Amino acid sequence: MRVSPRQFWRRQPRLLRIIVTRIALIVPQMFGVTLIAFLLIRLLPGDPARLILGNFATDESIALYHQKLGLDKDVWTQFAIYLGNVLHGDLGTSPFTSKPILDDLADRAPATLELILFAVICTVGIGVTIAVTSVVKKGSAFDWGARAYGFAAGALPDFWVALLLVFFLYYMLGWAPAPFGRVDMMLTPPPTVTGFLTIDSLLAGDFEAFRSSAGRLILPILTITIVNAGAVTKMTQTVFAEIWAAPFVEQMRACGVPERQIIRAALRNSLPPIISVSSFILGFLLGAAVLVETIFSWGGLGQYAVQAVINSDYAALQGFVLVASAFILVVYSIADILYEVVDPRIRT
Amino acid sequence: MSQSSEAPIVELDGLSVGFGDKTVIDGVDLQLRPREIFGVVGETGAGKSVLARAIIGLLPTGGRVLAGQVRYRGQPVSTMGPEDARAFRGGKVALIGTNAKALLDPVARVGDQIARVVRSHERLDKRAATARAVALMREIGINDPERRARAYPHELSGGMAQRIVIAMALAGNPDVLLADDATLGLDATVQAQVLESLVERSRERGLSVLLVTHDLGIVRHYCDRVAVMKAGRLVEVGDVEPFLAAPANPYSRELLDAARARPTLQRPLAEDDRPPLVSVRDLTMHFAVPGSVEPIRAVDGVSFSIAAGETLALVGESGSGKTTAGQCLMRLLDNTDGRIIFNGRDITDLRENAFRPLRRNMQMVFQEPYVALNPRWRVRDLLAEPMALIEPMTSAERARRVAELLEAVHLPTALAEARPHELTAGEQKRVGVARALATKPSFIVFDEPTTALDIRVRAQIIDLIRGLQSQMNLAALFITHDLNSVRSLAHRVAVMHLGKIVEQGSTEAIFERAEHPYTRKLLAAELPVDCEPLPPGDIAA
Amino acid sequence: MPSDAPIRSSFLRPALVIGLFLLALQLIAIIFAPWIAPFSPIEANPIDSLQTPNAIHWLGTDELGMDIFSRIVFATRVNLLIGFAAVAISLAIGVPIGVLVGYYRGFTGALVMRFFDFIQSFPVFVLGMALVAVLGQEIWSVVIVLCMLFVPMFSRIVRAEVLSLRERPFIAAARCSGAGDFAIMFRHILPNAMTPVIVQISVSIGMAILLTAGLSFIGAGVRLPAPEWGLMVSSGAQQMILGVWWVALFPGLAIVFSVLSFALLSDEAKRLLDTSRPGVRR
Repeated sequence: MRVSPRQFWRRQPRLLRIIVTRIALIVPQMFGVTLIAFLLIRLLPGDPARLILGNFATDESIALYHQKLGLDKDVWTQFAIYLGNVLHGDLGTSPFTSKPILDDLADRAPATLELILFAVICTVGIGVTIAVTSVVKKGSAFDWGARAYGFAAGALPDFWVALLLVFFLYYMLGWAPAPFGRVDMMLTPPPTVTGFLTIDSLLAGDFEAFRSSAGRLILPILTITIVNAGAVTKMTQTVFAEIWAAPFVEQMRACGVPERQIIRAALRNSLPPIISVSSFILGFLLGAAVLVETIFSWGGLGQYAVQAVINSDYAALQGFVLVASAFILVVYSIADILYEVVDPRIRT
Repeated sequence: MSQSSEAPIVELDGLSVGFGDKTVIDGVDLQLRPREIFGVVGETGAGKSVLARAIIGLLPTGGRVLAGQVRYRGQPVSTMGPEDARAFRGGKVALIGTNAKALLDPVARVGDQIARVVRSHERLDKRAATARAVALMREIGINDPERRARAYPHELSGGMAQRIVIAMALAGNPDVLLADDATLGLDATVQAQVLESLVERSRERGLSVLLVTHDLGIVRHYCDRVAVMKAGRLVEVGDVEPFLAAPANPYSRELLDAARARPTLQRPLAEDDRPPLVSVRDLTMHFAVPGSVEPIRAVDGVSFSIAAGETLALVGESGSGKTTAGQCLMRLLDNTDGRIIFNGRDITDLRENAFRPLRRNMQMVFQEPYVALNPRWRVRDLLAEPMALIEPMTSAERARRVAELLEAVHLPTALAEARPHELTAGEQKRVGVARALATKPSFIVFDEPTTALDIRVRAQIIDLIRGLQSQMNLAALFITHDLNSVRSLAHRVAVMHLGKIVEQGSTEAIFERAEHPYTRKLLAAELPVDCEPLPPGDIAA
Repeated sequence: MPSDAPIRSSFLRPALVIGLFLLALQLIAIIFAPWIAPFSPIEANPIDSLQTPNAIHWLGTDELGMDIFSRIVFATRVNLLIGFAAVAISLAIGVPIGVLVGYYRGFTGALVMRFFDFIQSFPVFVLGMALVAVLGQEIWSVVIVLCMLFVPMFSRIVRAEVLSLRERPFIAAARCSGAGDFAIMFRHILPNAMTPVIVQISVSIGMAILLTAGLSFIGAGVRLPAPEWGLMVSSGAQQMILGVWWVALFPGLAIVFSVLSFALLSDEAKRLLDTSRPGVRR
């Protein structure tokens, strides 16, 4: 019997089907993101040549610069050139650092990734724990506290919380290290393996560097966690409370299943939305890290973007927007895959 | 089947339960004896479900015992410590609830869910517990249990899910089962099979069963004793047969009367050759399924016609395509093939704008009363909306017409200002009927008008429709799975199965001399209050 | 089933009272700012630089010697009006788009939603920075950035509601009663889709305030000497490490209370609107 492509597809394992579908979606999405990153920067008012060369540049030098950047061609040709360059890994060169933008971004990415990955783990871990405890102990003082926190946290500006933490924990109490970078400037940073200073210093067996880099992470992570765990708490409370009141939970109780097992089953049911919210927070933090990085002189992608804005370095900004969107796209795709994997009800 | 000599297993002693300042159960005394099947009947809000939950010690949030106690083999349930209470639930007394699909963990395999319960009551390793789960599934009548055990709940039919829930209830080897409207919402044939195996297992294992239900037919067919519950009290308790023959309490009598079928419609069918008002030829409705070449053939070549003033019942179980057929008729769905002729005019290909003027002559009463009414609108506006189809009216005329409509469906005119959520289910249904009558149509599609209603409300709606039929010379398509109401409402019956009409004929002919095996199976699964029960062999067929 | 779980009867809960009280304070500040503020909000006075809170300057002064209390009061105008304007414009654009895209589900609709997807997959904050940098550091640039964020959000919410509502039987019933597409969209569906939108309005105003402040904090929002809360926190950021706490603390508190008031109101709106929502009584 002949097997149609559709039948062949349906016979593949579920996990494979989910992953292939998602990866196939990334390509057009990446194209769209590139297009919009291009249009946003290119179609907005302001002449990059004039910005770079200054107000006293002659018309000839500007025309020459236009030619160099390909700005004398029409928009779609420009986009085609841009797209071709991006595909070759060429995001242009920053006139301010005089280095390829991709190299600049690659240098700074590990700092930001280390910060936001650890921050997301803390945020989600703490948020979910608070939410589950408050739902299970509904009506207790803890529940009230958790709900008040979930509420208030959403109103906190992260940059302000960071400043308060610096004031109290560094200036007043002296518990936390100074908000100047990822590791004490007196120390030699460990050789780069992963780019994460905490992990690299452990790999190098340099415990002093580890202590310093881990210590420097405390305040920024604390800031991000305090501000964002509230949202996770609130969301998980809603989802988990609904599941906790579901007939099947009551049924398990009526069958005499121990409470610990019921919590586990309910948590398993809340997993899909928790996965989505974690990925959303991870994506959101990449943008929000701008503020925290600035305050703690983190030297990551966020600060690079701020510099690009201040210097009107559009090529660098465009590169950052593109890389950041690509990162978010990948995170969301992974989340989508996990989401479908943990929920057997989704037909693929 | 009186066994008064034996000590009761479960005993309720003056039990009262309240929510806030409202008393939901009010001084209930009840003894559940060993090996008996005890029915508790009542309407929505009578407190039946709370009663079952009070016995197992799991009142819904906000509920508390006000007075009295529940004793299991002499021991008050309230004195058990948390661990004992846990072992008691499922280990001694188990609960089977309504809507089995919601009672199963959607992301766990059903075999694992049963095994989870087994391991909560016995120290077993995972493999042994799974083996036990498979054995329980086989015991409760599931074919190929090894394979089924690996299924997720959404892959199961309603009847199968209900069997899984029963297996879960049996997993802790309890000696009392509380079945709380366990077969509500299942198709009649499935309901009969599930109840049959539930009762059979219970008799085999020597369990006592408390069967909470709103269906007197179930009581008649499966119970030894019965209690009638009203507003938190037991108004009558007794053996089933004398109760059905002569209920002592007036409320019980009212319930029993309401459950009985009305006499067949008086007006004999006009046998002349009038052209039919509605005529459907080879109606076909296919739905494309994403990811599959084969469409779902919801309606697959259906033909019927309805004369003016005549009611045709379209009978079938869920998934038979009867509602889809009705929606095609009302042009809510674009049928794939076939013709629909109304009053001599082919309406199959009319565009919505061209068809709208015809809507005044064809109306529909929707299935679920609540969701078919816009929750933000007042009854007044809901009833006035279709009047725009007739002719321009002043607001005074419209108000008068609204009042007339409310009167026609026996609702107080004051309800015109109410919003749907302020109405009872019966009132919502009446508003739905009134809305369909607003344009004085000559033809109405009634989609499951008696489903999910309490016994007495259901009887009232049946009487209302009967009244309308005779007063207004209304033609109707009556879509239902409730055979009892078909007897009371239809001149003719068409039986639908898997998208096709398998048999068509006058109501008497179908009920007395059904020919198609499916029709017979359907009739056999009915549990009427007032006919002799059929031998069990027929039900299983 | 017992559907009569105890209903919270008290209409005025503390949360609602606090939310309304804080909102009233802000409205008073907006209207009567010139009469409430003792000093000019934009006049530098280098002699009075960095004064600790005292009887004359209640909340102290910043580096340029501007009175912090006066600036906080005047900033209410800037911050709230940016929020109100952005949300109002986004509602006017986003809600009709959501209704149409949800109801007609055509190719154009799918395209619009894809476009929104892309916009939303950019890091919000960086997008804002870039746009403000290019459009110029003006109030209206910030409003445009916020609209780019909120229009897709409102459209998406409305569309999701419409998608589920259009399949509900009462829509089929309305069609049987002779309602046309327009009546179904705007008389039947839209009123039922508004609850999440109303809840979101208040949330969005809070988000707008936070974002505006954040953009100004890193210098990509409103420019000095305009009174704006985030800008004010920023002007105190450097001194925080040196123990000068009042410059950054008070405007930050203003942000917190302002956003909190809208969060409280949104939550209360959800609760109040819920009571008239589906719940079958039999």
